Amino acid sequence: MSQTIAHSGPEAHAASAHHHELSFFHKYIWSEDHKTIAIQYLFASLFFLCIGGLLAMGVRYQLAFSGSPIPLIGTLLPKWLVTDAGAIQPQGYNGLVTMHATVMVFLVVMPLLVAVFGNFLIPLKIGAPDMAFPFFNALSFWLFFASGIILLSSFFVPTGFPAAGWTSYAPLSANGAYNGSQAGQSLWCVGIFVNGLASIAGAVNYITTIINMRAPGMKMFRLPLPVWALFITAILLLLAVPVLSAAAAMLFFDLNFGTSFFEANRYGQPLMWQHLFWFFGHPEVYILILPAMGLVSEMLAVFSRKPIFGYKAMVYAMAAIGVLGFIVWGHHMFVSGMNLMLSSAFSFSTMLIAVPSAIKTFNWLGTVWGGSIRFTTAMCFALAFVSMFVIGGLSGIYMASTPVDLFIHHTYFIVAQIHYVLFGGSLFGIFGAIYFWYPKMFGHMMNEFWGKVHFVLSFMFFNLTFFPMHNLGLNGMPRRIADPNLYDFLKSSQPLNIFVSLSAFGLGLSTIIFFVNFIYSMFKGPKAPRNPWNSTTLEWTLPSPPGHGNFPVTPTVYNGPYEYSVPGMDQDFLPQNQPAPETARVTVH
Amino acid sequence: MSFWRSTFARCGLVLAVFLAGLGTCWADPRTSNLWWMPENAVQGGVYIDQLIYFILFLTGGVFVITQIVYIFFIVKYRARKGVPATYTHGNNRLEIIWTAIPTAIFIGLWGYSNHLWWDVLHSTPPANSLQVGVAAYQFGFSFQYPGADGKLGKAEASFVSNDNMFGNDPSDPDAKDNFSSSVLEIPVNRPVHIRLDSKDVIHGFYIPQFRIYQDIVPGRMIDWVWFTPTKIGKFQLACSQLCGSGHYNMKADIEVVSEADFEKWYQEKAKAVQPQPGAKLTSVTETKDQ
Repeated sequence: MSQTIAHSGPEAHAASAHHHELSFFHKYIWSEDHKTIAIQYLFASLFFLCIGGLLAMGVRYQLAFSGSPIPLIGTLLPKWLVTDAGAIQPQGYNGLVTMHATVMVFLVVMPLLVAVFGNFLIPLKIGAPDMAFPFFNALSFWLFFASGIILLSSFFVPTGFPAAGWTSYAPLSANGAYNGSQAGQSLWCVGIFVNGLASIAGAVNYITTIINMRAPGMKMFRLPLPVWALFITAILLLLAVPVLSAAAAMLFFDLNFGTSFFEANRYGQPLMWQHLFWFFGHPEVYILILPAMGLVSEMLAVFSRKPIFGYKAMVYAMAAIGVLGFIVWGHHMFVSGMNLMLSSAFSFSTMLIAVPSAIKTFNWLGTVWGGSIRFTTAMCFALAFVSMFVIGGLSGIYMASTPVDLFIHHTYFIVAQIHYVLFGGSLFGIFGAIYFWYPKMFGHMMNEFWGKVHFVLSFMFFNLTFFPMHNLGLNGMPRRIADPNLYDFLKSSQPLNIFVSLSAFGLGLSTIIFFVNFIYSMFKGPKAPRNPWNSTTLEWTLPSPPGHGNFPVTPTVYNGPYEYSVPGMDQDFLPQNQPAPETARVTVH
Repeated sequence: MSFWRSTFARCGLVLAVFLAGLGTCWADPRTSNLWWMPENAVQGGVYIDQLIYFILFLTGGVFVITQIVYIFFIVKYRARKGVPATYTHGNNRLEIIWTAIPTAIFIGLWGYSNHLWWDVLHSTPPANSLQVGVAAYQFGFSFQYPGADGKLGKAEASFVSNDNMFGNDPSDPDAKDNFSSSVLEIPVNRPVHIRLDSKDVIHGFYIPQFRIYQDIVPGRMIDWVWFTPTKIGKFQLACSQLCGSGHYNMKADIEVVSEADFEKWYQEKAKAVQPQPGAKLTSVTETKDQ
């Protein structure tokens, strides 16, 4: 183990190039190489993506065809989930909703963004040989993996999945007699707690690495934007996740040991759970989008062949989001029964936090302006990200206005909004980033044609699935009801529900193209050159994939991260590790 | 890149389909209620609807303008032979402009929203309000009316139990003649002031036509919700906070009737109730299974 501990300085790198061969176990299972850990995270979270996606298909099937048996597999499913005939039961539906969101948030989007790209890119982009604490890093992955297994194992307990929603509002979640799945809910608490440990270990690693292990010349304001985004995200994680872990532990005690932190009938405070959960939960929303913003910013700059517009404004906007993100949690609770004065105050801070998002959007427009745009698959996803994020951001304004929230709170409007941010935003960003960094990760190119087919189908089905949900919400369809047909005021909009479900199935199927492309390219894709996209940042100066220890000689950084199309140069990009030629007219912003 | 042309065609097509879909939404408003809000049926809801339309046009305008500019840029600045990208790191004046304008708009929007929140929706209920107690439990609602004396009496969350779902204060004589109902029967054009409590978990009080949502929290009496129905008719109260295995079907009927019909219904109900010691609610059982 000691040989993989990171050192800085060229001697250490030279030494690391002459490692003795690692055993299979140390190379693939308990690897402490940040790139291998990133790939472990990638495989694991893509596996969880399939599970989360299947759960979503179950949810949509029920909302469109409630009462009809699930074709083919219906009768094979456990009895807590389906009736004898194989149709989804209400309690099973609650479990599907709960686990779909839990899996997607904690096991898919968070690890894909923070763990996969954080682990892979941070050391490569700042010129470091590895993370500051490689052992912690490996531990983080296995804790994460364990948390996934713990959460999903509730499928096999007799009472089934936890069924109190991913927000697990107490006292429903705090008492097995109320929620009907004491074992499932307990597993949820343990899974979230273990998942939190993984996040904290990762966050400490990222912060330390970025502060201490930058290559000479890599000033903070020369860091590529994904690194800035991950740095701010790691700070958010470190401050927010322990609160959730503590809350999950308290909930576990309430469930199993008779404490009463949250149960009103035993003098606990139900709203305290919501405050703790959303104190984590709102920074979490930004944890799930900031890294995607960073990744997308980079792709937009690379494929527009332009420096990012307003680099510092982008950094300050992300920092502002990070700070404000901690004082807006109450906007999830305008109508929760807390003091109305608090609703006023949180509404104000929520309106303010929309400003940095607006700034970022305008800067993305500025980046595309005057560019020389290359429409690779990665760029298509990055461009789509901006549009989808604009929709998600603008529809968020409805909820920020307290009187409007009074009407649309807890309806499908909010479901539409969260998916525009987390799917059209984060997941599109992730897809783009996978197409973009795949060559560096695996040494092969992904197929561009099938990439574009995947893009077009996802983009289309995504909008057909989630845009009508705004309308369902305006018509008053509450979240998390297993059968809209039971409500008079929802009968008229049921055709829309069926339409949404069919689109969702299309969206699910379109993802198969991605997976086939992903796996096929790993073996049969054309060999990737060092720098397929003519990019400036440090990871592209290395072979694809980079060797253990990354840089044979520690690079020196001379330039900002996005020096594209510098006047007076032959090639249209100036790598960070090359001094600008005499003729180049580099300006510093 | 050789792909851009076909990519554009595809993206353009997708966008066209998308916009056509949006157009259809507008063409088919309200008639079938497939797409749009149910008709508002309370006084305060008028203001909420105005605000929704204002935000709709504001955000819709911003969306359309930014997307037109964005798509124009994407088309205009596609990679072309011999045309290099513009080398620029940004423009501070633009940064200031596009920081200041959204800030002003958002603060203005907050100001108006906040005015509505306090001065209209959560102002003090008028003195002639009909007081109704709402008790939520797994999985149903029950409603309590003041009885012949017109007074609901004091209530506290700590009194809530299986025998006293509305948390009436046993020592308060005003509560003794209260009667309960499984249907929320209310008169048109008279303010209704409700008092919400829950026996077990958090439930939701949600009526889309009334533009009202309020969580019902065990351990708290929530007494700031009031509204004035403006339309006679039948509505549905839905629990919209996930509350367990029966949540999907937790609802209650609401009947908004004329003042005369309400008086008749009220007098009959009030007469049937004998004041009982301890304000025990005899009629709770009738609501158990719905």
